Amino acid sequence: MSKITTAKIDLSSIINGQKSQQLADEQIMLHARDLRVSYGQKEALHGVDMQIPKHKVTAFIGPSGCGKSTFLRCFNRMNDLVDSCNISGEILLDGKNIYAKDVEVAELRRRVGMVFQKPNPFPKTIYENVAYGLRIQGVKKKRVIDEVVEWSLKSAALWDEVKDRLHESALGLSGGQQQRLVIARTIAVKPEVLLLDEPASALDPISTLKIEELIHELKKDFTILIVTHNMQQAARVSDYTAFMYMGDLIEFGVTDTIFTNPEMKQTEDYITGRFG
Amino acid sequence: MKTSVSSWVKSGSPWIWLNAGAVAISMIMVVSLITLIGVRGLAHFWPADVLQATYSQGGSSRTVIGEIVQSEQVSATQLRDAGIAVAAGVDSLERKLLKTGNRDIGGIDFTWVLDRDLSERAFPQMLFTVERYEWGNFYGFLRSFKRGDQVIASYAGSAKSSDYLALWQLLELSIARASDIRDKIYKIEKDQIGSINHEMERLRLEQRRWQLQGIERGAQIDAINLRRQQLDLDYKALEDQLITLYREINRDSISAEVSSGEIVQIEVAKIVRVFRANDMDQWQKSLHYLEKVWEFVSEDPREANTEGGIFPAIFGTVMMVILMSIMVTPFGVVAAVYLSEYAKQGFTTRLIRIAVNNLAGVPSIVYGVFGLGFFVYMLGGSLDQLFYPEALPSPTFGTGGLLWASITLALLTVPVVIVATEEGLSRIPRELKEGSLALGATKAETLFKVILPMTSPAMMTGVILAIARAAGEVAPLMLVGVVKLAPTLPLNMNYPYLHLDQKIMHLGFHIYDVGFQSPNVEASRPLVYATAFLLILVIALLNLSAVAIRNRLREKYKALEV
Repeated sequence: MSKITTAKIDLSSIINGQKSQQLADEQIMLHARDLRVSYGQKEALHGVDMQIPKHKVTAFIGPSGCGKSTFLRCFNRMNDLVDSCNISGEILLDGKNIYAKDVEVAELRRRVGMVFQKPNPFPKTIYENVAYGLRIQGVKKKRVIDEVVEWSLKSAALWDEVKDRLHESALGLSGGQQQRLVIARTIAVKPEVLLLDEPASALDPISTLKIEELIHELKKDFTILIVTHNMQQAARVSDYTAFMYMGDLIEFGVTDTIFTNPEMKQTEDYITGRFG
Repeated sequence: MKTSVSSWVKSGSPWIWLNAGAVAISMIMVVSLITLIGVRGLAHFWPADVLQATYSQGGSSRTVIGEIVQSEQVSATQLRDAGIAVAAGVDSLERKLLKTGNRDIGGIDFTWVLDRDLSERAFPQMLFTVERYEWGNFYGFLRSFKRGDQVIASYAGSAKSSDYLALWQLLELSIARASDIRDKIYKIEKDQIGSINHEMERLRLEQRRWQLQGIERGAQIDAINLRRQQLDLDYKALEDQLITLYREINRDSISAEVSSGEIVQIEVAKIVRVFRANDMDQWQKSLHYLEKVWEFVSEDPREANTEGGIFPAIFGTVMMVILMSIMVTPFGVVAAVYLSEYAKQGFTTRLIRIAVNNLAGVPSIVYGVFGLGFFVYMLGGSLDQLFYPEALPSPTFGTGGLLWASITLALLTVPVVIVATEEGLSRIPRELKEGSLALGATKAETLFKVILPMTSPAMMTGVILAIARAAGEVAPLMLVGVVKLAPTLPLNMNYPYLHLDQKIMHLGFHIYDVGFQSPNVEASRPLVYATAFLLILVIALLNLSAVAIRNRLREKYKALEV
């Protein structure tokens, strides 16, 4: 690390070269084009263009109120729930605009799952929480549901802790377990994209660590977008990092580059802790 | 001194005292109200000792017999004004209210007597009380027992001898026998003849229906007539049975001596029960008490509601409240869900909310008038025109009844359910809703699978408040289907089992009727307390069961506490 900082200028061109090479190599999962979001009169996102690579973890960092959560919630149209919210521009999922008129929002949300800041299990049993999405889709066969529940809980590294009490209330779990349960519930419907909105901010360090390990495991199967306030976390878990500020995407690139050799002054200031 | 007062004020103690005082006063008032009602109402069933005394007034004297119901002080001035001599220097005198019974002989069954005019007081063991189906209580001495015109046993003394006990035994056996026969008669009259009448009425309506269609004769009419003949035969057979039973039940009679020395005949068939209050120990009195309380809650009223039980009123009240809950809950919940989940929030929804809240404050009699005009006359009238034209001009649904009473109450309480449900909906954490939507559930799926189950405790709160309001309501009910006497229950064995068009009795209205419309005020006053106590009990019971359901739901859908 110290080597890089001392030879900063020399290395930056090399790393930048690598970055463009890398991003260009990736398969693109999501593509935001000139995305603008406003709440009433106030514009929260001022036309963002961004391409999100498939089966990678992309982290969004930036100070509070920079629009990163708003941006994240655009990918599964969660902002539709806010009455005063206005969205223009488009997001392409596999080349198809998710804001097109003929898109079924429920179907989109099944493909683009989301985990929220606060663990929000339903007041049902652990089993029923995971089975919820399947039941919504009309899956009735108990064998199928049993299999998916087990697979999801194993994928969310929760199976060993709860396998003996699947039919007890999910509200009896600890905060960290609840958050992993919510992740299990989300991946049970086999989405293609996972949106994580500060998934560990309400958890203790050990639970946080588990969630981070989990993210690392999950990226084999899912494209993951994560919003976080914790820069160490972004550095640890993500392959790509986007820095947002005041509703604009300031810089986007390979995580190592963003953290070691950012192009923009604002990014550097934020990362080194000079503001935010 | 001044500083200490201000520091006392600053410490917040006065506030605590004020708050605690308010709570204490409310508690004291509620507890004393319930105690008053309970004691006054329940004491009525206790067999009081029967007093025999000589009452001398204005030179003449006579023997009085009766239960002491109440005593009070009257001011001397008042007595002097009434022309009663009171010694100077006496401020007030005690007077007693005696329940002397024997209304068929003396005309009145309660008298006020001045305590000082009573002498030779005694509580003779042999004094006996007869509870009768007509004319209220009888007090006197048992003298003889007759079967037909033949005297079987008699007794003239005043000691508890074996002769007397044999006579008593005969009487008790005879009463038990009469009671068995009465049960048979009741069964035949109410069940068998009742269902024959029910079917006759149906046949009449069926014939009328054919008539309205222009069919005067034919296979259908013949079938009706055939069936009617069969019913007539059945009825004849039952009538014969009844005549025999009535002859049987009227076999025995007793004679007894009243306070004036006159001998009075009483038919055993008219006797509910006999007992010697002065001869009972505490244990026997307690048994008697329980028997009376049970009679009160389980039997039909007698004697213009001043005697007997109030079972039809309890049944009517509970039935009506349950029907009301069944109607108001889905209606209120659906309205609340639309208002808070689907409707675009703005001026209109705010206006509707204000209107709903105000609706809860409309005087209930207004709902009664509305119910009478809209439900009974308009809806009921149209229903009659459409579905029961054969019964016209006598109305089926075009008059007050269980259905209209329940609907009127449901309308009265729907704002409460809406407000409570909306409150509950607004308390569901947003994250849960989003969590469900993020899994690909539609809004409706989220509503039914997550939000509504979690709101169910709040809905129950609404229902509890609705029940509390509806069960105590009287004014609107008087207009839409509650009557003074309706011993036929709205739920019975005749098709269609639940008779929504039937008029019902109601505890609240019963209080009003017994307390203020009764020809015999003194006799009915304790029943007002007893009925009020029972009404409170019924409401409490309905509420507690709703609370129990709510607590179970709460436990099940405990909200997140992270």
